[in-house]
Amino acid sequence: MIEVKNLKKSFGDREVLKGINFSIKKGELYGLLGPNGAGKTTAISILSSLLNADSGEVFIENLNLRTDTNAIKRITGVVPQEIALYNDLTALENLMFWGGIYNVPKQELSQKANELLQLFGLEDRKNDRVKNYSGGMKRRINIAAALLHKPKILFLDEPTVGIDPQSRNLIFEVIEKLHRERITIIYTTHYMEEAERLCDLIGIIDNGEIIAEGTLEELKKNSPVKEIISITFSDMNNDNYKKLKSFRSDIKLTENIVHFYTSDAKTELPKLVSFCNQAGLEFNNIEILKTNVETIFLNLTGKQLRD
Amino acid sequence: MIKIVIKDLKLFFNDKGSMLMAFAVPIALITLFAFAYGGVGKGNKSNKIILQVSDLDNTTESKEAIEQLDSLKSIQIKLKDLEDAENAIKTGEASSVLIIHKGFSDSLMAGNVLSLELKYDEAREIEIGLIQQSLIPTISMLPFRLKGSKNVIGKRFVKMTGTEDLQTQQSIQNQLDNLYDVIAKSIAESSQSNDKMKNPSFGFYGEDMKMTKIIKAKNGNRIGLVQAVAGTSVMMLLFSVVGIGLGLLDEKKEGTLKRLIYSPIKPGNILLGKMISANIMSILQLFIMFHFAWLAFGLKIGSQLPGMIITIIATSFACSAFGVFIASFAKKREQIQGLSILIILAMSAIGGSMMPLFFMPAFMQKLAAISVNYWSIQAFFDVFWRNLSVTDPVFLIRILILFLIGGILNAIAVVLFRKNILKLV
Repeated sequence: MIEVKNLKKSFGDREVLKGINFSIKKGELYGLLGPNGAGKTTAISILSSLLNADSGEVFIENLNLRTDTNAIKRITGVVPQEIALYNDLTALENLMFWGGIYNVPKQELSQKANELLQLFGLEDRKNDRVKNYSGGMKRRINIAAALLHKPKILFLDEPTVGIDPQSRNLIFEVIEKLHRERITIIYTTHYMEEAERLCDLIGIIDNGEIIAEGTLEELKKNSPVKEIISITFSDMNNDNYKKLKSFRSDIKLTENIVHFYTSDAKTELPKLVSFCNQAGLEFNNIEILKTNVETIFLNLTGKQLRD
Repeated sequence: MIKIVIKDLKLFFNDKGSMLMAFAVPIALITLFAFAYGGVGKGNKSNKIILQVSDLDNTTESKEAIEQLDSLKSIQIKLKDLEDAENAIKTGEASSVLIIHKGFSDSLMAGNVLSLELKYDEAREIEIGLIQQSLIPTISMLPFRLKGSKNVIGKRFVKMTGTEDLQTQQSIQNQLDNLYDVIAKSIAESSQSNDKMKNPSFGFYGEDMKMTKIIKAKNGNRIGLVQAVAGTSVMMLLFSVVGIGLGLLDEKKEGTLKRLIYSPIKPGNILLGKMISANIMSILQLFIMFHFAWLAFGLKIGSQLPGMIITIIATSFACSAFGVFIASFAKKREQIQGLSILIILAMSAIGGSMMPLFFMPAFMQKLAAISVNYWSIQAFFDVFWRNLSVTDPVFLIRILILFLIGGILNAIAVVLFRKNILKLV
């Protein structure tokens, strides 16, 4: 369905995509997970024909993105990261316009627009101008505008940034519904909860490279780390860090938090606390994280997804 | 407090946009308006009013008269065939022609009414007033500069009294003989003086010049109204269409342009759509402005409707293209907004939107041709004032030029659109 081969893109001297590869089958929901600046939006921009790749190939439904651009555009829907709507038009007018440019017949479009307004819980407000909507409501219409022409493939670029929990849950429900309808979806996010909840396959991207890929179970299974003990120290200077390194060499530091990767936290934790007490290292908080996308990412990059 | 002052000044001097608006833009506008209003130079040739003269008499006396007119500081004489001169008035190139009719010399020598006629465009009555002020004293003094002028003036006095009694006529001639030396001396002194108050005008000759409006409001339109409606409408239209053009940059900023590019619509069609909407808005705006002038001020549209429609369409096309052209220059609205206001004000000033062109020096009048305003306003004058038909070549050329300007600006906009606006990431 979607085949991405060795995709590269640079802006000046900065290499944003360093040859990414992935493939997605029909009806799969693929999550591209990574921190800000990892290359997610660039990848989506290339897949949705906004940017040309420097090299590499993309095939969507056996169509070559370079040569069959318009045919691909007709079967794809794109939800951009920013709210790309006309604020002075009503929600319904916006939907009629965005559907209209895909040449959806008027009657069919009107019916689809109303269906989507109902689905996103905005039927009562459909004749209000978008500028009077809350951020969450705008996000919902932003997604609805990409669904009017019934795309086979949907690109969602961080569709839940900066919205309220209620709108977020509603958006998740809609995405799950679309997934059940076997629409192929690429979903970029830097929220691991979203990736874990929604995605069949997760590609973890950092610095323009996909550093891990698979289902959540596969990622967990393949990770050498099962648990992470995160200790927040009152003062983490170089000397203290060296002391901790002498206890365990594979630790990672994020600000004042030191992460210890382990396969058995229960056994490891008393030893660690005892060492800290003996070494005179004061700590404020201890947290045990079970393996999840966040811990896998942390283990792979030493960074947190929110960095 | 001083720290705040220093900080604010630093911020101001580091902001190129503020510096541009504070210093460069006012300097540019002052320079432009100084040239436009004739405030630069020493009242030299460029400030002279051009007067076409057609000498049908072609005698020593008529040539003498032309020579004297040419010596005036405020007027520059252009000798022309009558037909050419009249055409120049009809097309707006000249305001008037002084015709020295056949028999001028004979009338002068016989003391009869002089065969002089000033044909003019009523639209330029202020300019004509200035010409009259210069012409009448010179015409009045023509007889005094001729050989045998004493006899000529005597005959004129006699004609003025209307008496047929030979004894009375002789008496008038005798009295003039006594006065003539005093008058001649006064004229000789006045010719060396710059003081206009000392310049005897002897109005009885001045009134000999017949005034004929070669172009007048056949449909009853007032020239000031046509100038006000056409000038203001075109200037305001330029502001509107630049706003529409800048909408492209807003779409870029707000992400809707990106979303349009995700769709199967061709990038060229996005620009074309913007151009068409700008044209429709422009046509609507001009129609409303002229209909307002009709309803509120009685602008006579009537039989001029076809000409008005053609001019509105041509003007809308040129102005819309200008709006999109300006927008396509920049990557962000902030880069072009201030500059666009400056360009519109400059074009409006030199193009005749702010004041009639004849107020300006000759070179500024020529410069006016680079502005959309000029061609549009002239075309509206053709329709509402000069009453030219829609097939008149003069009118058609102006319309053609408006379409040409629009075409060129649109073509440049397409290239710049791809270069500047479509760079989204």
